[in-house]
Amino acid sequence: MFSKILIANRGEVALRIIRACKELGIRTVAVYSQADISSLHVKLADEAICIGSAASSSSYLNIPSIISAAEITDVEAIHPGYGFLAEDAHFAEICESCKIKFIGPTPENIRLMGDKMVAKETARKAGLPVIPGSRAIVKTKEEAMKIAKEMKYPVIVKAAAGGGGKGMRICHNDVRLIGALLTAQREAESAFGNPDVYIEKYIEKPRHIEFQILGDKFGHVIHLGERDCTIQRRHQKLIEETPSPALDHKLRKKMGECAAKCAKTIGYVNAGTIEFLLDKDNSFYFMEMNTRIQVEHPITEAVTGLDLVKEQIRIAFGEKLRFKQDDIRFSGSAIECRINAEDPDNDFLPSPGKVATLNLPGGPGVRMDTHVYQGYEISPYYDSMIGKLICHGRDRLEAIAICKRALDEIIIEPIKTTVPFHKRVMNDTSFIRGRFSTDFVESLFGKTE
Amino acid sequence: MYIKEIKDMIHLMNENNLAELEIEKDGLKIRLKKSSGTGFEKTIEFVPATSGHHGAHQAQASEVPAKTAQAAEKKNVLEIKAPMVGTFYRAPSPETPSYVNIGDQIEPGQIICIIEAMKLMNEIKAEVKGKIIDIQVDNGEPIEFGQVLFVIEPA
Repeated sequence: MFSKILIANRGEVALRIIRACKELGIRTVAVYSQADISSLHVKLADEAICIGSAASSSSYLNIPSIISAAEITDVEAIHPGYGFLAEDAHFAEICESCKIKFIGPTPENIRLMGDKMVAKETARKAGLPVIPGSRAIVKTKEEAMKIAKEMKYPVIVKAAAGGGGKGMRICHNDVRLIGALLTAQREAESAFGNPDVYIEKYIEKPRHIEFQILGDKFGHVIHLGERDCTIQRRHQKLIEETPSPALDHKLRKKMGECAAKCAKTIGYVNAGTIEFLLDKDNSFYFMEMNTRIQVEHPITEAVTGLDLVKEQIRIAFGEKLRFKQDDIRFSGSAIECRINAEDPDNDFLPSPGKVATLNLPGGPGVRMDTHVYQGYEISPYYDSMIGKLICHGRDRLEAIAICKRALDEIIIEPIKTTVPFHKRVMNDTSFIRGRFSTDFVESLFGKTE
Repeated sequence: MYIKEIKDMIHLMNENNLAELEIEKDGLKIRLKKSSGTGFEKTIEFVPATSGHHGAHQAQASEVPAKTAQAAEKKNVLEIKAPMVGTFYRAPSPETPSYVNIGDQIEPGQIICIIEAMKLMNEIKAEVKGKIIDIQVDNGEPIEFGQVLFVIEPA
């Protein structure tokens, strides 16, 4: 097994990776920006190297700095987490050429699936149903308007190089489209260093269903079930659950097999996720593949009993997958609530600052993944997600009851968080019934985008 | 450097009421640090001379008293900090003399050290004019972004 790994990330995912490493007896190296000097991942790693100033471009996106840190600490592998350089094929290649294992897919996998447009084309060739859209990057407003006219509004402008809702805009007319093209390009440039965007037909009121994939270097690929991530705001996921209340056994099997087949066709290695949109008639369309571990992986861990980060490390080390598709068992229902430092009563305005009082929930069926500790200062430079509450019950209703109970125990003061928002959702009839689509959050607030 | 020597070091620390003691000998560096009770600090670290730890640039109660952070509190000194992560070298090669030494006068644009990163040697130039009053890292030591390298008395 690896003896030392560098974690090229921060916040809760850095902590997540450090935890898996420690349990496997692997020494850890944290990298951090000057703004993160008091961060928990820095304190808990065996070694820590400051790699740059607060700006992501100077630190967490700074490849020479990170590789340099890896060299001086003599690590054998780098885990990129999610976001930042996790889906940067160039970074994965540099790791390879420096004889450092990149804990994730191959650079070829990333190129093929990381570019959302090429991914769609690949899935289409693999026989999966896909969403109609522009076949190339859209650069000018004239091109954009032409494509939108052919596909008919509404359309969605999306970043080719990333996800997480950044660089995405829904447009219902030409006026919106022109503005959206520019802001989406800017946002994509800032988040992923790449302003390329493309346009797709926007499927109204869909459900977002994704499948977890694991593949080893020997060509074995399995799926670990789905996650329903329909509860989103501005294309950023807020609540995820498994199993999806919208899938029956037959549809789950069909979609899962599709996902595994797609990944196997491209020789996908390590952890990845294939995202589908499910429309009102239960037709599903390939949307994109995320070539990384995802934020919401804990709900899959809850129902399968597996540790996905450890599996990632094992696969990267060269081990064979220890189970076949038939070995995977699902138990109960799990829900994750993303806790963000945002004010839900004020249009989710970011609310950074010091956490003077902190109480985290506990008890059966509760898992809280967070890098926040009492006295920690949440800085304004990064993502507003400060923690994830994962609740696991024997069925969906029990999982919801546990969530409600755990949310009541959470105290994060005096900053504002999305905890009250999650409480509202857990008490909402449509949510409890399991009948909702991606406009759920909008309708909860009675607004339209 | 083994158990007896470590015990001697601990004895030395207690006798002299030291919180931290670092000794480097024969390519091995040992730092002993008393726990302040937060639970996040380790009390003993074995650090081979070529590895890096984020604490490496903190105050060290070692044999050279000049190597403390107090230098920055004196009036009229400037710290030259590492603009990148890498390995610090005083000279372009092991055979050639150091670019600069303590007591030297430096000018803006003058090469003062090399930071090696990803197999590339980066020449670091001074941006200020002044006299070097301290060099805070050793030749061949790994350094992180923002680490203090030189302390200058501006001229």
